[in-house]
Amino acid sequence: MLQAPDTYPIDRPPLKSTISMAYTLTPGRAAGTFMVETGKRRFVGSRCVSSGLVCVPAQDFCPRTGGADIELVVAPEAGTLTGFTQTAAGILATIRIDGADFDFVHKIVDSSLVDLKIGARVQAVWADASTQSILDISGFQLAPNAPIGKIAPLSDPADPLPMKPYPLDLHYEHAFGPFYGRLFDEIGSRHRIMGVRSTSGEGVLIPPREFDDISFTRTGTWVTLPDTGTVSAMSVIHLEFRGQKEPPPYIYAEIQLDGAVTRLIHSIKGIDMSRASELVKPGTRVRAVWSTSRTGSLSDISHFEPIPELNSANATDM
Amino acid sequence: MGNPNRVAVVACAQTELRAAWSNAQHVDLISSTVSNLLKGSGVALADIDFVIDSGSDVLDGRSISNCGFLGAMGAHHKEESRVEEDGLWAASYGINKIAAGAAEIGLIIAYSKPSESDVSLFYASQVEPFYQRPVGFDHLAASGLQAQQYVVRGGGREADFAKVVVRSWEKASGNPHVAVGQVPSHDEIAAGEYVASPLRRHMMSRPVDGCVAILLASADVARRLSATPVWVTGMGSAMDSHAFAVRAPGRVEACEVAAKAAFARSGVDPRTVSLAEVSGSSAAGEMMVLEALGLAKPGQGFEAYGGSTAINLSGGALPADPIMATGLVRLAEACRQMTVPGDYGLSNVKSAIVHATGGVGMQSHCVFTLEV
Repeated sequence: MLQAPDTYPIDRPPLKSTISMAYTLTPGRAAGTFMVETGKRRFVGSRCVSSGLVCVPAQDFCPRTGGADIELVVAPEAGTLTGFTQTAAGILATIRIDGADFDFVHKIVDSSLVDLKIGARVQAVWADASTQSILDISGFQLAPNAPIGKIAPLSDPADPLPMKPYPLDLHYEHAFGPFYGRLFDEIGSRHRIMGVRSTSGEGVLIPPREFDDISFTRTGTWVTLPDTGTVSAMSVIHLEFRGQKEPPPYIYAEIQLDGAVTRLIHSIKGIDMSRASELVKPGTRVRAVWSTSRTGSLSDISHFEPIPELNSANATDM
Repeated sequence: MGNPNRVAVVACAQTELRAAWSNAQHVDLISSTVSNLLKGSGVALADIDFVIDSGSDVLDGRSISNCGFLGAMGAHHKEESRVEEDGLWAASYGINKIAAGAAEIGLIIAYSKPSESDVSLFYASQVEPFYQRPVGFDHLAASGLQAQQYVVRGGGREADFAKVVVRSWEKASGNPHVAVGQVPSHDEIAAGEYVASPLRRHMMSRPVDGCVAILLASADVARRLSATPVWVTGMGSAMDSHAFAVRAPGRVEACEVAAKAAFARSGVDPRTVSLAEVSGSSAAGEMMVLEALGLAKPGQGFEAYGGSTAINLSGGALPADPIMATGLVRLAEACRQMTVPGDYGLSNVKSAIVHATGGVGMQSHCVFTLEV
């Protein structure tokens, strides 16, 4: 059974984090045409020439045979209910459009669950304005008298929508656990960096962990590290990109704190950036500059800066 | 081409499965599980030829999350692969490596912390983005539609849903590896609010946090390491259409195909198998899986619980679903039941079926047969 520490003295709330993915999806011919044609209130399906099977809404391949010899068609706006459920999103149903060989899922509007029966006739309800999406059809409503429709050829198909912006935000609450918990608690409450003694060599591991990565033996005691260290690698960032914390140029460096066997990545500031690669190099001695905020994260270290008195003597050697 | 080498599970370890391991990170759960696995196994880290792990970047909230977990897995400078499917697929990958003669000892790990994210977004990220996601179709809706079809076309009985859930939670409450808390009563379940009609609140599997690890070994090594190696004698996996609405309603065809492949390889007959550990996303899903595995007739999944095969003595996935690790937990549970059958009130245990599933509305399935 688990030996993972079950209780520990530090009660840290989880780390909230959001990953925002700004996807730009490529719908392809079938879905791309569908999403433009709904603006003209035409409901586009696809017929696979080799299998003869019709899929509504349109797909670039036959769902049964995988055949890619597809011709686009106009589907009727009526069909039959083949199944339904209700979730927090509303009533969702599998619907077989007249003339189609496969079901698809859409919303049922203007009805409650008790009104629905498998086999009931339903009809598309168009949205007032087009958003070039499947939601141009708000959903389907019960339509007992809807005539049985037929699949028809699609004349003058619109050019497919080339791209669909699709932002997706994923939210997390990460547990710190006993080792990261103490690390960040010490940083936040005491401006103190603590690691654990490595069991595979002399030195201290940060972030601290229960098992040494290399020997897979239990790590040793907690150790306070000084907030001074040596740059082992650095890069001046000139590129702009999404998610950046500050405008370029700035320096990111790998810093080995004195006594640590691991390296920490942080920014280096407090220098004339036009001489960045001259003033910061592998071997440059640096010191942490603590921020006035105490958030219990690495940003409590505002940045590192070179220690002039330790760097001037050997500056020309590098 | 020679015959494949026989491969056995020689050790299993896992954390407790609980609603939230709020005071431990993935790495804390993983390193402690692996270290427990090695204790007394007769295997040192240096003996392990490869590590294969299962988890989900979307659930973990970091890309290629296994890279960050490498040290905790004992995988430093080892051959390591990640399988973005349930851990049972990772095990099948590892078994094939050993069966092919490419390795002798493998470490398989699966981990999950769904408590750190919104599970509905995890499933939403798997749904087709143009036609399905915008209308609100998700894993819940798929499971509800599937349950309705199971009753309408598959011959299942809605009244059995609550009974399956009660049974699962009662079994889980006797399982030291699952933190259960209060076992819901039949009436509480049967009158619970609908989450995806006809499924009510307890009828969907409960996501939990946890980690599980197993050691695989080739026949020669297994006989030296373990008094009771559990032989993996058959494997099969299959995936159904991504578009939920074009799948066969009322049954899980991909599970039938996966089971057929596993049975054909081993010769195990589901009608005489000693025990089964299966994963169901919902109460209806679990019964559909039992039918697909040949443990019950179509529409009579509930009958399987009263049959000669011991079904989900662990409680199964309904009370404890560590998404991505659920199937590997089933394998670990089945191995324990086969190595110490007396602890489970079993005798004369010879064979087992292990099942894993993944995806929206149980799109993919993996089936093992085990023998001792």
